This record gives sequence, structure tokens and C-alpha cells, in this order.
Amino acid sequence: MKCTNCGLRDATTEVVVRHGNHVEKKYLCGDCAKNYRPDVGMDSFDVLNKLINGSPMGLLSNLSNLFDTPTARTLVCPDCKTTSEEFLKTGFVGCPRCYEVFEPLIEQTVKRLQQSDRHIGKIPVGAVDVATEEARLKGELQAAVDNGDYVRIGELSAMLKKLVGNKREGGN
Amino acid sequence: MNTSDTIIISTRLRLARNVDGLPFPHKLAEMPARQIIDKVESVLSPVDKFTRYDMSGISSLDGTILQEKHLISPDLLEDSPFGAVMISTDENVAVMINEEDHIREQVILSGLSLDQAYDRVNAIDDVLSKNIKFAYDKRFGYLTSCATNLGTGMRASVMMFLPALTVENMIDGCINEVGRLNMTVRGVYGEGSKAEGYLYQISNQRTLGVKESDIIDAVKGAINHIVEAELKARQLLKRDEPELIDKICRAWGVATSAYKLSTAEAMQYLALVRLGGYYGYIDISDGVEFQKLITSVQPANMQRLGGNNMSANERDILRARHVSAVLNDMCKKTVK
Repeated sequence: MKCTNCGLRDATTEVVVRHGNHVEKKYLCGDCAKNYRPDVGMDSFDVLNKLINGSPMGLLSNLSNLFDTPTARTLVCPDCKTTSEEFLKTGFVGCPRCYEVFEPLIEQTVKRLQQSDRHIGKIPVGAVDVATEEARLKGELQAAVDNGDYVRIGELSAMLKKLVGNKREGGN
Repeated sequence: MNTSDTIIISTRLRLARNVDGLPFPHKLAEMPARQIIDKVESVLSPVDKFTRYDMSGISSLDGTILQEKHLISPDLLEDSPFGAVMISTDENVAVMINEEDHIREQVILSGLSLDQAYDRVNAIDDVLSKNIKFAYDKRFGYLTSCATNLGTGMRASVMMFLPALTVENMIDGCINEVGRLNMTVRGVYGEGSKAEGYLYQISNQRTLGVKESDIIDAVKGAINHIVEAELKARQLLKRDEPELIDKICRAWGVATSAYKLSTAEAMQYLALVRLGGYYGYIDISDGVEFQKLITSVQPANMQRLGGNNMSANERDILRARHVSAVLNDMCKKTVK
């Protein structure tokens, strides 16, 4: 799952923020979690922090401590409804989407089991090896720039943009 | 038979795959589960001649026979309500559907045939991959219901006959050593170090962060190590050769003359006869057929041979006749 704040990096932290009766959930990457500031005087973190520290000055450091414990809350896969507790208990995930939803948990398990978390083997027929394709398109783009072929530059730029976008979404 | 034929029995290559966008089998509803079976059948049918068996419709006897032949897993037979298997006519290919993963492509060949088995399973995988979008992630590779199969989804297994390591109580040390090479060892019939018939399966543990060729090389390395250890242990067994010959000849005698044989007895005597083949006390004309004899003495296969209504006693009598007939046809005691 991508960070709901920046949309770029993988979310590693679930944050629950209360605004009165309204509960808002955010899934943040490590960077956004460190820089996250809930609305002053409105949310439970700020209140909690004031209670703990007596002053809002220590807010950031204490928030990052809280954010570093993402497994404390139950995550639920929106596709198959498998929960993080179920995964931790059985070792089984329910669907391909679970790998995004439980990625921080799975990452630890996979590294322990497999001594690696990077696939280097066969890719499915028809699936694009993104790194290879990106290098190929960049080479073609450079050639188009050298030749002043502006139509081709436009095409290749669009293709690269699409490829990089897909890569951020973690597709094939 | 050559030396390795008396140690290495067969090779199995398995690739675990799932259909993108669908829950894994333990969360899958009946309709999409049946659609996966139909889809796999339609894709594989032009490739080779396959027979489809649905677990919902298969008789208990037929299912157990397939399990005894190691073409399907106990999990597919017992815990997969919408499970199925596609088996090639030569029984070298068995594609299980809706077991732990949607698709488990398996190739089983005799002897040490890791490269050939991979080539064949890879070809089947390519055909399926062209027609079915597999769940795949750039980082984790092929997505599977359990993280132990992530990445390549590949399990390379070799069945080995290790009587000397077992009898000399060296098998546990051997298991620990190959464990350090990220391999697992388990008994083929029964679990633990006292595997029935001295048959063990050695397979890779790691599936992620390694290439398929790396896995094959690692399994080959482990197999070579175990073969060397077994050969050394077989030399140790000869320190009291008259005793060894007597044990093997007695096994031959019982296996060819008994009126009744239980499965466990048959496994034990046939294992000693096979070991006699290695030492040259018994001439075994065909190692592959000998392994088929091991499969044929299992309870469900025996029941099929004799008819459905046999009692356990009748089955044991039939087993004794069957073992005697096959051994006398295929083997000859050469030691005087």
C-alpha cells in the first residue's frame, strides 16, 4: 500500500486521528510519519503528547516513537478481508492484494524465512521487466534528442512517464 | 543398475502460481474455483493428453491411488473441496488446481533429472502464463498463499533411498548438514529419521532471492553430498559381510515365499532386496520398475489390483503373491 499522504513511498505506519467524534485513518511512509503534524488542539495525538510531555515541544520525537509501532493495530485487506492477526497466526495471506496491505509485516517474515526480499528469478510471459524497459526507453530518448526528433521525444517521454508511474504502483 | 540408480529414485519439480485478482484457494468461492479448473484444462488440453480428476467427484480409492503414486498431495485430496488435478498420460506431469495455491505445476521424472524436469515444467508454465495472468510482483515475484513459496514458487525435490545412513544412525547428522545448505529432508512414507523403506525426499527451502538455476544447482550439490555419505555408509555396512548377505537373502526369501505380506513388511523386505542390488547379491533388471513395485504394494493400489471388496487379510495374501511374481520376473539372486 502506498502512503496516503505523499502517494510515492510504501506505507509503514497506520495513524488513527480523532477529530471529536470523527475518526480518520492515515497510512503513512516513514518520512511522512516523521513530518506529520496533527491539527493543534484538535486531535488525540496532540492531547496525548501534551499529557505525556506537558508541552507541545516534544511532539515530533514522541510521535515518531508512536509511529514506529505500526503492528499494534489490526490491518484488514479490503479485497479478501484477511486481517493482519489472521496472517500472523496462520502464515497465510488471502489474496495478492494482501501483499500490499500487510507489506511491513510480510517483509519481516519473508526476510526471516527466505534471507531475501527481492525476486530475481523468472518473470511471467508478457510481464515487463521495468528496469530493463526503462533503460531501453532512456537510450531511445537520448537518440531522439540527438537527432532532434521531437515527435519521437514526445512519444518516448510519455512511455517513460507511464512506465515509472506503473513502477510506483508496484505493478508487473 | 548403476550406483546412483540404487540411491536416487526420482525427481520432482513444482512451480506454484496464482491467478491475479482472485482470492487464494482457502478464501475462494466455488464459482471462480471451478472457472480456474476449466481454464487450466482448456489451456493444457492442446499441449498434451491430460486426464482431469475433480476432488469433489473422485472416489476415495481413486484419490488414494493418486496420492500413493505421489501425483497429488494429501491436502488436495482431503482439504480442497474445489480441487482438481490434470495428469498427463505418461503420469510425468500433474497440475494440481486449487490446492494451497491456484495452480501447482509438477513434473515427476525417474532418476536425477532436475534439468529435464525444469525444462518440461517451464514449458508448461509458459503456456499457462500466455493464457492466464499470474499474480506477480516485481519485488516478491510470484505471489503465493504462503510466504514460504514466494519468488520463484519453485520446489525441486529428489527422492533418495538411504538405507545405510539410516541403519548406521548417520541420517540425522546428514539432515543437519543439508539443513545448513537450506535444504529440507523428510521421509517419503512416514515422517522423521526412520522413514519406511528408507525413502527420503530432499528439497530446497529458499524460493526467493534465488534464480531457478541457483535452486537446481543447490539441490544437485546437496544430492551429491548425500550420495557420497550414503556410499561411505554402505561400505561400513560391509564390515560384517556374511551378516549383511544373510539379512538380504532372508529378506529375498520372505519376499518371494511369504503367504501374507503387510505393507510395512513388503516395504522393509523390498528395501533390503534393493540394497542387495547395489552390492550385487541380487540382480535387478530395471530400477524404474522396481520403484513401481514399491508404489503398487501400497494399500489403495493393492485394493485396485484385487477388487474393491477385499478384506485386509485378502489384501495381504494378494500382496505376497504380487511381490513374489514381480520379483521373480525382474530379479535374480546371484549370491551363493
